[in-house]
Amino acid sequence: MHTAIQLILTSLQIGAVYILFSLGLTLIFGVMRIVNFAHGHLFAISALVVAYTVPLLAGWNLPALPAYLLGVVAAVAVTLVLGFLMYVFGFRYFQRDMVGSFILSIGLVLLLDGVFLKVFGGAVRPVPEILPGTVTILGAPVTAQRLALCVAAVIITALLYWAMTRTKLGKALRAVSIDHEAAMLQGVPYGRIAFAGFMIASALAALAGALIAPVTIVSPAIGADYLIKGFIAVIVGGLGSVPGAILGGLFVAAIETVGGFYFDATSATIAIFLLVIVVLLVRPKGLLGHG
Amino acid sequence: MSIATKARLYGFGASLGLLVAFGGAQAQETIKLGLSVPLSGAAALWGKGSEFMCNTAAEEINKAGGVKVGDKTYDFKCIAYDNKYNAAEGTKVAQTLLNRDGVKFIGGSLGTAPVQALQSLSERQGVLLFTTAWGPSIKGPKFPLTFTQMSTPFEILPPLIRYVHKANPDAKTVVLLNPNDATGQDTEAVAKKVWTETGVKILSSDFYERGTTEFQPIAARIASLKPEIVDLGTMPPADAGTVLRELDVLGWKGVKVVEVGTGVDALKVTGGKAIEDVYMGAAVIFDGPGVSDHQKAVNAKARELLHESLNSIQIGFYDSVYAIKAGIEKAQSIGPKKVGAVMPQVKFTTFYGGQIGFHGKDTYGSNQQMELPVIITQVKDGKLVELSRISASTN
Amino acid sequence: MDNLRLPYWALCTALALAVTFVVRDPYLASIVNLISIAALVAVSLRFVMLIGELNFATAAFMGLGAYAAGAATTILHWPFALALVFGGVVAAAISIVFGYITLRTRGPYFLLIGFAFTEAVRILYSKSMALGGTSGMVGIFPPVGFDAWMPSLIMAVAAVLIFALYVLERSDFGKILTAIRDNENVARTVGLNILLCKVACFAIASFAAGIAGGLHAFANNVISPGDFSFLVAAFALAYVKVGGEDNIVGPLVGTILLVTLGSFALGLGGQEHIFYGAAIILAVLLLPDGITGLARRGYQRLAARKGH
Repeated sequence: MHTAIQLILTSLQIGAVYILFSLGLTLIFGVMRIVNFAHGHLFAISALVVAYTVPLLAGWNLPALPAYLLGVVAAVAVTLVLGFLMYVFGFRYFQRDMVGSFILSIGLVLLLDGVFLKVFGGAVRPVPEILPGTVTILGAPVTAQRLALCVAAVIITALLYWAMTRTKLGKALRAVSIDHEAAMLQGVPYGRIAFAGFMIASALAALAGALIAPVTIVSPAIGADYLIKGFIAVIVGGLGSVPGAILGGLFVAAIETVGGFYFDATSATIAIFLLVIVVLLVRPKGLLGHG
Repeated sequence: MSIATKARLYGFGASLGLLVAFGGAQAQETIKLGLSVPLSGAAALWGKGSEFMCNTAAEEINKAGGVKVGDKTYDFKCIAYDNKYNAAEGTKVAQTLLNRDGVKFIGGSLGTAPVQALQSLSERQGVLLFTTAWGPSIKGPKFPLTFTQMSTPFEILPPLIRYVHKANPDAKTVVLLNPNDATGQDTEAVAKKVWTETGVKILSSDFYERGTTEFQPIAARIASLKPEIVDLGTMPPADAGTVLRELDVLGWKGVKVVEVGTGVDALKVTGGKAIEDVYMGAAVIFDGPGVSDHQKAVNAKARELLHESLNSIQIGFYDSVYAIKAGIEKAQSIGPKKVGAVMPQVKFTTFYGGQIGFHGKDTYGSNQQMELPVIITQVKDGKLVELSRISASTN
Repeated sequence: MDNLRLPYWALCTALALAVTFVVRDPYLASIVNLISIAALVAVSLRFVMLIGELNFATAAFMGLGAYAAGAATTILHWPFALALVFGGVVAAAISIVFGYITLRTRGPYFLLIGFAFTEAVRILYSKSMALGGTSGMVGIFPPVGFDAWMPSLIMAVAAVLIFALYVLERSDFGKILTAIRDNENVARTVGLNILLCKVACFAIASFAAGIAGGLHAFANNVISPGDFSFLVAAFALAYVKVGGEDNIVGPLVGTILLVTLGSFALGLGGQEHIFYGAAIILAVLLLPDGITGLARRGYQRLAARKGH
């Protein structure tokens, strides 16, 4: 029983970040029909900025929590600028062009790999502990930081869900992702909606990166691991589907946790890939995919 | 002394001076030292530090008058290319170094797959190869021009594990965890053998993919097996720190070993207080009384560049340059085959201090392994403390 | 079957082969090998693009071919030619099974499954001690007599396969493939078994990728799991896109250009990625139809002016 609770909690903790990451991927795909491999770099730059600013601010005798919150603001701002540049000078010209946008994103991956290494160096960056202490839930220990991360992820996801179903922008985003031509006929300004979708996705990546920074290994290469798992999550859940991304994120996290617990981590990784193929055999559009 | 004799003497002196001057002009000749190292991706820092250490040694040697062969002197110059840790890129680097740049000495190489690619070319072309790669399959009499520039698990593990066992005689069970790469696989094989021989039971030996950032499931698994010792083998310091922290959260207490742990910096970054009492077998200490000014100065410069202390992998790239210098001067030739033939007999000054040579005949069949001491260290109050230094000869 | 422009093909191949006979510098020879193999991979990738799919599993099938040829040589001690063909056959056989499952999906799903498959296969090699684990497999040498002629041999094999793929593209089969790309449902109404055609196209391309892998193994003598990451397919796609995708000459031009550029970029050390990434970004932004597209437009404009 104890083991089961431990595994479920671990899955939820890992899944929280995968969900935020996959939501961004699925949103961009839904609106623009592009596969953005540089999404991991948006995530990475946010984590790197946090890792840079927090020790700096802490050096000015700022307590950990305010320093971290300021760091998050800076990280989101920097990430949004990078996202803006990516969109305006790149992806804007490749809407609904999967092949073209994909190569562009590969070029960006290589370019940003080099730039990050040059700017941030390869060393692992320390982020001081923001919320010290451990909480025990049903007999299973969880660090306060991880718990805060999960809570934040749930709030962000809930906000996004609310915005997608209730606000005008959200409805437009959904309309475009279901049928962009019909949406345009209804007077939805496609260009502006696509831009908004891309920026929201960038902000999600930024938040995910900023949240994970205090509990993980922050280096310029951090995005790659999440990118692969994020893509698997959205394939499993169905590209373009918000509930699908949530489901997929949890799915990947659960296999990683259970597989890693009973076998070893490498076998768990292979199991994830195999299960994706199985899912697609049954549902070629993912579990909740449409269109 | 007659005027004629004097004139002759002066003449002789002048011509000698001219010769020296001529020789001096020739000091511009350089010997290129090729490096095949990762300069991008997760291991970029190791590659950059290696390039830095090669350059440091080369500059020191050049300033001190270069490498002397007869009345000629040569300068060293390091050329590094990115091998991206795989064989295909390793082949490209090998082709570029050997066939485009005409390199005859490989000052160092990192990563088993790219090193194998380099070796298949270097041995055939008669190029001297220094490497940090560990696998016994790339060493020995079959590869007379290949030399190893750092201690490997075969040197480090037996004394380290014996030491840990003696210090913790009650710990009878161990779980091993290694990255799923060449060094991890090589080390795991040796570690399994030595732990078993020491009388410690292996509960499980796991692997994970390099680049993993989530270690919670792995830690949960280890904690559930309830081992008395956790051996994190060749895990990069940042990864090892994360595992130790997750284990700490889960309430696991026991003996912690990072066999080929190379430094405390990154370990502390991710591990925090959970890294207390970790045993390491390949770490280098840069503070305390036993550290020379030279070591401190080089490390300070490296920290500016890398934001991390030097590790034993990178230091290997310094030692190899001095070894090549000693080899060239002993052979009195810049022919790599001649240098390779005398290399097993040379003595040179290592970065760690003191004169060392090559050994390894018993393990590999030829003396091609730098005779470095094994330094067993432990983390105490967040700092590395040297517990024992076992010289290679008694090992 | 319409005009295959045979004289051009024969001339270009003969010229290229003549170059490999003249080039005795081992470094240039290694570049020629890289180009020949990369060109074959790029053309294989483009062949699946005829049905409108991006085949990221190309990297996996190249790897399967390389490992099969390597295992046949080092473990089974098969002769060179047999090992090479074996690599292609293994790749094709596995691709039939894989394609039969995955070609029911389309577009981004197919792309991302290919990506996942590539990574999974790569981890499988690293787990297999018989295949050398992560250290890779060593000692995949061609017969000693071939050593000096490897660039010519590799180029000849690559040229034959590229030409074969070109002939197929221009045949009725090729027209079916493009019909599937343009509108699968229309093609289905004519009574074609779409899945079968797709799998056939996929298997043919994978055979070529497998042979490319075998050539890669014999050219480098050493292979490691890291050689066959998804980046292989990403680069192949870059070659296709930079060169121009609507013509088989495009990937060839793109390969020659980018591989040469890449060999130059190697000297930039850590900056290599910045340089290469920037080159790809600029190429896709400034040359939407690739270099051959640009050349064709320039040629048409010139011809139009002459006409007046």
